[in-house]
Amino acid sequence: MAKVLLVDDAAFMRMRCAKVITKMGHSVIEAENGAQAVESFDREQPDLVLLDITMPEMDGITALKIIRQHAPAAKVAMVSAMGQQDMVLEAIKSGAADFVLKPFDESRLVSAIEKLLG
Amino acid sequence: MKVEFINPFVKAAIDVLRSEIKSDVERGKLRLETSSAASHDVSVMIGLTGDAQGVVLYGMQVETAVQIVSRMLDQECDELDAMAQSGIAEMGNVITGLASRGLSEAGFQCNITPPTLIVGKNTQIGTLDIPRIALPLKTECGEIEINLALRELKSQAA
Repeated sequence: MAKVLLVDDAAFMRMRCAKVITKMGHSVIEAENGAQAVESFDREQPDLVLLDITMPEMDGITALKIIRQHAPAAKVAMVSAMGQQDMVLEAIKSGAADFVLKPFDESRLVSAIEKLLG
Repeated sequence: MKVEFINPFVKAAIDVLRSEIKSDVERGKLRLETSSAASHDVSVMIGLTGDAQGVVLYGMQVETAVQIVSRMLDQECDELDAMAQSGIAEMGNVITGLASRGLSEAGFQCNITPPTLIVGKNTQIGTLDIPRIALPLKTECGEIEINLALRELKSQAA
Protein backbone atom coordinates (compact mmCIF):
# COMPACT_ATOMS: atom_id res chain seq x y z
CA MET A 1 0.00 0.00 0.00
CA ALA A 2 1.38 3.39 -1.00
CA LYS A 3 0.91 6.75 0.67
CA VAL A 4 -0.45 9.42 -1.71
CA LEU A 5 -0.43 13.15 -0.96
CA LEU A 6 -3.45 14.69 -2.70
CA VAL A 7 -3.31 18.46 -3.11
CA ASP A 8 -6.28 20.47 -4.39
CA ASP A 9 -8.06 23.54 -3.03
CA ALA A 10 -11.45 22.06 -4.00
CA ALA A 11 -12.79 19.72 -1.30
CA PHE A 12 -15.02 18.14 -3.94
CA MET A 13 -12.04 17.20 -6.12
CA ARG A 14 -10.11 15.84 -3.12
CA MET A 15 -13.09 13.65 -2.20
CA ARG A 16 -13.47 12.43 -5.77
CA CYS A 17 -9.77 11.57 -6.20
CA ALA A 18 -9.50 10.10 -2.68
CA LYS A 19 -12.29 7.64 -3.55
CA VAL A 20 -10.30 6.41 -6.54
CA ILE A 21 -7.02 6.18 -4.61
CA THR A 22 -8.49 4.31 -1.64
CA LYS A 23 -10.31 1.95 -4.01
CA MET A 24 -6.85 1.13 -5.42
CA GLY A 25 -5.78 0.17 -1.90
CA HIS A 26 -3.58 3.18 -1.14
CA SER A 27 -3.80 5.65 1.73
CA VAL A 28 -4.42 9.37 1.22
CA ILE A 29 -3.12 12.48 2.93
CA GLU A 30 -4.86 15.71 1.86
CA ALA A 31 -3.61 19.27 1.52
CA GLU A 32 -5.54 22.37 0.37
CA ASN A 33 -2.76 24.48 -1.13
CA GLY A 34 0.90 24.43 -2.11
CA ALA A 35 2.19 25.60 1.27
CA GLN A 36 0.33 22.82 3.08
CA ALA A 37 1.57 20.37 0.44
CA VAL A 38 5.23 21.20 1.13
CA GLU A 39 4.67 20.91 4.88
CA SER A 40 2.83 17.58 4.51
CA PHE A 41 5.43 16.25 2.10
CA ASP A 42 8.31 16.98 4.50
CA ARG A 43 6.42 15.46 7.42
CA GLU A 44 4.81 12.42 5.77
CA GLN A 45 7.29 11.51 3.00
CA PRO A 46 4.56 10.17 0.67
CA ASP A 47 5.29 7.77 -2.21
CA LEU A 48 3.43 9.96 -4.69
CA VAL A 49 2.08 13.52 -4.88
CA LEU A 50 -0.94 14.54 -6.99
CA LEU A 51 -0.78 18.31 -7.32
CA ASP A 52 -3.30 20.86 -8.60
CA ILE A 53 -1.90 24.11 -10.06
CA THR A 54 -4.30 27.01 -9.42
CA MET A 55 -4.55 27.27 -5.63
CA PRO A 56 -4.55 30.11 -3.11
CA GLU A 57 -1.49 30.87 -0.92
CA MET A 58 0.96 28.84 -3.02
CA ASP A 59 0.33 27.47 -6.51
CA GLY A 60 1.18 23.94 -7.55
CA ILE A 61 4.15 24.78 -9.76
CA THR A 62 5.88 26.63 -6.88
CA ALA A 63 5.11 23.73 -4.53
CA LEU A 64 6.46 21.25 -7.10
CA LYS A 65 9.76 23.14 -7.31
CA ILE A 66 10.15 23.25 -3.51
CA ILE A 67 9.22 19.58 -3.08
CA ARG A 68 11.75 18.57 -5.76
CA GLN A 69 14.41 20.72 -4.06
CA HIS A 70 13.71 18.92 -0.77
CA ALA A 71 13.52 15.48 -2.43
CA PRO A 72 14.87 15.32 -6.01
CA ALA A 73 13.45 11.81 -6.52
CA ALA A 74 9.92 12.75 -5.38
CA LYS A 75 7.24 11.35 -7.67
CA VAL A 76 4.81 14.12 -8.58
CA ALA A 77 1.93 14.22 -11.09
CA MET A 78 0.10 17.45 -11.84
CA VAL A 79 -3.72 17.21 -11.92
CA SER A 80 -5.06 20.44 -13.35
CA ALA A 81 -7.47 22.16 -15.70
CA MET A 82 -4.65 24.52 -16.71
CA GLY A 83 -3.17 22.59 -19.61
CA GLN A 84 -1.58 25.31 -21.75
CA GLN A 85 1.54 24.11 -23.45
CA ASP A 86 3.86 26.45 -21.52
CA MET A 87 2.29 25.36 -18.22
CA VAL A 88 2.75 21.67 -19.03
CA LEU A 89 6.33 22.29 -20.17
CA GLU A 90 7.16 24.23 -17.00
CA ALA A 91 5.73 21.44 -14.86
CA ILE A 92 7.69 18.76 -16.71
CA LYS A 93 10.86 20.88 -16.61
CA SER A 94 10.35 21.34 -12.86
CA GLY A 95 10.18 17.59 -12.33
CA ALA A 96 6.54 16.52 -12.76
CA ALA A 97 6.40 12.97 -14.11
CA ASP A 98 2.87 13.22 -15.53
CA PHE A 99 0.18 15.81 -16.25
CA VAL A 100 -3.45 14.72 -15.84
CA LEU A 101 -5.82 17.19 -17.43
CA LYS A 102 -9.22 17.91 -15.84
CA PRO A 103 -11.85 16.80 -16.64
CA PHE A 104 -10.53 13.23 -16.55
CA ASP A 105 -11.92 9.73 -16.51
CA GLU A 106 -11.24 7.62 -13.45
CA SER A 107 -9.15 5.31 -15.66
CA ARG A 108 -6.79 8.18 -16.57
CA LEU A 109 -6.08 8.89 -12.90
CA VAL A 110 -5.65 5.19 -12.14
CA SER A 111 -3.14 4.73 -14.97
CA ALA A 112 -1.13 7.79 -13.87
CA ILE A 113 -0.95 6.45 -10.29
CA GLU A 114 -0.06 2.91 -11.43
CA LYS A 115 2.64 4.20 -13.78
CA LEU A 116 4.30 6.32 -11.10
CA LEU A 117 4.07 3.75 -8.34
CA GLY A 118 5.02 0.87 -10.64
CA MET B 1 -15.50 41.65 -27.17
CA LYS B 2 -13.38 39.58 -29.51
CA VAL B 3 -15.09 36.53 -31.00
CA GLU B 4 -11.88 34.60 -30.28
CA PHE B 5 -12.68 35.00 -26.57
CA ILE B 6 -16.17 33.52 -26.81
CA ASN B 7 -15.67 30.29 -28.71
CA PRO B 8 -13.18 28.67 -26.28
CA PHE B 9 -15.67 29.13 -23.43
CA VAL B 10 -18.59 27.73 -25.42
CA LYS B 11 -16.57 24.71 -26.51
CA ALA B 12 -15.09 24.14 -23.03
CA ALA B 13 -18.48 24.41 -21.31
CA ILE B 14 -20.13 21.98 -23.72
CA ASP B 15 -17.22 19.50 -23.47
CA VAL B 16 -17.07 19.62 -19.65
CA LEU B 17 -20.84 19.39 -19.20
CA ARG B 18 -21.10 16.47 -21.61
CA SER B 19 -18.23 14.69 -19.85
CA GLU B 20 -19.24 15.48 -16.24
CA ILE B 21 -23.04 15.29 -16.31
CA LYS B 22 -23.50 13.05 -19.36
CA SER B 23 -26.10 15.39 -20.82
CA ASP B 24 -26.78 16.84 -24.21
CA VAL B 25 -26.14 20.57 -24.18
CA GLU B 26 -28.18 22.96 -26.28
CA ARG B 27 -26.66 26.33 -26.96
CA GLY B 28 -28.99 29.36 -26.63
CA LYS B 29 -28.73 32.79 -28.20
CA LEU B 30 -25.85 35.10 -27.33
CA ARG B 31 -26.83 38.46 -25.79
CA LEU B 32 -24.68 41.55 -25.39
CA GLU B 33 -25.30 43.24 -22.03
CA THR B 34 -23.95 46.52 -20.73
CA SER B 35 -25.67 46.73 -17.34
CA SER B 36 -24.57 44.93 -14.17
CA ALA B 37 -25.16 41.19 -14.09
CA ALA B 38 -27.87 40.08 -11.67
CA SER B 39 -26.68 36.91 -9.99
CA HIS B 40 -28.61 33.66 -10.26
CA ASP B 41 -29.37 31.51 -7.19
CA VAL B 42 -25.84 30.20 -7.55
CA SER B 43 -23.04 31.94 -9.44
CA VAL B 44 -19.44 30.84 -9.84
CA MET B 45 -17.13 33.77 -10.54
CA ILE B 46 -13.60 33.31 -11.92
CA GLY B 47 -11.15 36.03 -12.91
CA LEU B 48 -8.81 35.95 -15.89
CA THR B 49 -5.50 37.78 -16.08
CA GLY B 50 -3.01 38.01 -18.91
CA ASP B 51 -3.68 38.81 -22.56
CA ALA B 52 -7.44 38.56 -21.90
CA GLN B 53 -8.54 40.19 -18.68
CA GLY B 54 -11.87 40.23 -16.88
CA VAL B 55 -14.31 37.86 -15.31
CA VAL B 56 -16.47 34.88 -16.21
CA LEU B 57 -19.65 33.93 -14.34
CA TYR B 58 -21.54 30.65 -14.43
CA GLY B 59 -25.08 31.16 -13.12
CA MET B 60 -27.82 28.64 -12.38
CA GLN B 61 -30.70 27.80 -10.06
CA VAL B 62 -30.06 25.84 -6.85
CA GLU B 63 -31.96 22.81 -8.23
CA THR B 64 -29.73 22.79 -11.30
CA ALA B 65 -26.57 23.02 -9.20
CA VAL B 66 -27.71 20.14 -6.96
CA GLN B 67 -28.56 17.96 -9.96
CA ILE B 68 -25.23 18.70 -11.63
CA VAL B 69 -23.27 17.75 -8.50
CA SER B 70 -25.38 14.58 -8.10
CA ARG B 71 -24.38 13.56 -11.62
CA MET B 72 -20.74 14.52 -11.12
CA LEU B 73 -20.59 12.37 -7.98
CA ASP B 74 -22.84 9.66 -9.33
CA GLN B 75 -24.85 9.81 -6.12
CA GLU B 76 -27.95 11.73 -5.07
CA CYS B 77 -27.38 15.09 -3.32
CA ASP B 78 -30.34 16.73 -1.54
CA GLU B 79 -29.03 20.20 -0.91
CA LEU B 80 -26.35 22.69 -1.85
CA ASP B 81 -24.14 21.87 1.13
CA ALA B 82 -20.44 22.74 1.40
CA MET B 83 -19.34 19.73 -0.70
CA ALA B 84 -21.90 20.50 -3.43
CA GLN B 85 -20.78 24.14 -3.44
CA SER B 86 -17.20 22.98 -3.88
CA GLY B 87 -18.31 20.73 -6.75
CA ILE B 88 -20.08 23.53 -8.62
CA ALA B 89 -17.13 25.86 -8.10
CA GLU B 90 -14.81 23.14 -9.42
CA MET B 91 -17.00 22.69 -12.50
CA GLY B 92 -16.56 26.42 -13.24
CA ASN B 93 -12.84 26.09 -12.58
CA VAL B 94 -12.48 23.18 -15.01
CA ILE B 95 -14.51 24.92 -17.75
CA THR B 96 -12.43 28.09 -17.37
CA GLY B 97 -9.16 26.15 -17.29
CA LEU B 98 -10.10 24.33 -20.46
CA ALA B 99 -11.19 27.60 -22.09
CA SER B 100 -7.88 29.20 -21.15
CA ARG B 101 -6.18 26.38 -23.06
CA GLY B 102 -8.30 27.36 -26.09
CA LEU B 103 -7.40 31.02 -25.58
CA SER B 104 -3.72 30.06 -25.44
CA GLU B 105 -4.06 28.19 -28.74
CA ALA B 106 -5.63 31.34 -30.23
CA GLY B 107 -2.60 33.36 -29.07
CA PHE B 108 -3.90 34.78 -25.77
CA GLN B 109 -1.95 33.61 -22.72
CA CYS B 110 -4.08 33.77 -19.57
CA ASN B 111 -4.10 32.69 -15.96
CA ILE B 112 -7.23 32.11 -13.91
CA THR B 113 -8.01 32.89 -10.29
CA PRO B 114 -9.46 30.33 -7.87
CA PRO B 115 -13.29 30.36 -8.08
CA THR B 116 -15.59 32.43 -5.87
CA LEU B 117 -19.12 31.18 -5.21
CA ILE B 118 -22.01 33.62 -4.82
CA VAL B 119 -25.16 32.07 -3.35
CA GLY B 120 -28.23 34.32 -3.37
CA LYS B 121 -30.33 35.76 -6.15
CA ASN B 122 -30.19 39.27 -7.60
CA THR B 123 -26.87 40.40 -6.25
CA GLN B 124 -25.64 42.99 -8.77
CA ILE B 125 -22.25 42.09 -10.19
CA GLY B 126 -20.71 45.04 -12.01
CA THR B 127 -18.12 44.49 -14.72
CA LEU B 128 -17.43 48.27 -14.88
CA ASP B 129 -16.62 49.36 -18.43
CA ILE B 130 -16.26 45.84 -19.85
CA PRO B 131 -19.32 44.81 -21.91
CA ARG B 132 -20.71 41.39 -21.07
CA ILE B 133 -21.76 38.54 -23.32
CA ALA B 134 -24.44 36.23 -21.89
CA LEU B 135 -24.82 32.73 -23.27
CA PRO B 136 -27.48 30.31 -21.98
CA LEU B 137 -26.80 26.56 -22.18
CA LYS B 138 -29.69 24.13 -21.74
CA THR B 139 -28.88 20.79 -20.11
CA GLU B 140 -30.94 17.92 -18.68
CA CYS B 141 -30.17 19.38 -15.22
CA GLY B 142 -31.49 22.83 -16.12
CA GLU B 143 -30.10 26.00 -17.65
CA ILE B 144 -26.63 27.39 -17.02
CA GLU B 145 -25.89 30.94 -18.12
CA ILE B 146 -22.31 31.89 -18.91
CA ASN B 147 -21.50 35.60 -18.63
CA LEU B 148 -18.22 36.71 -20.13
CA ALA B 149 -16.77 40.16 -19.52
CA LEU B 150 -13.31 40.11 -21.05
CA ARG B 151 -11.10 42.63 -22.78
CA GLU B 152 -7.85 42.23 -24.64
CA LEU B 153 -4.88 43.70 -22.84
CA LYS B 154 -2.73 43.90 -26.00
CA SER B 155 -5.13 46.28 -27.78
CA GLN B 156 -5.45 48.42 -24.65
CA ALA B 157 -1.70 48.87 -24.51
CA ALA B 158 -1.47 49.69 -28.22
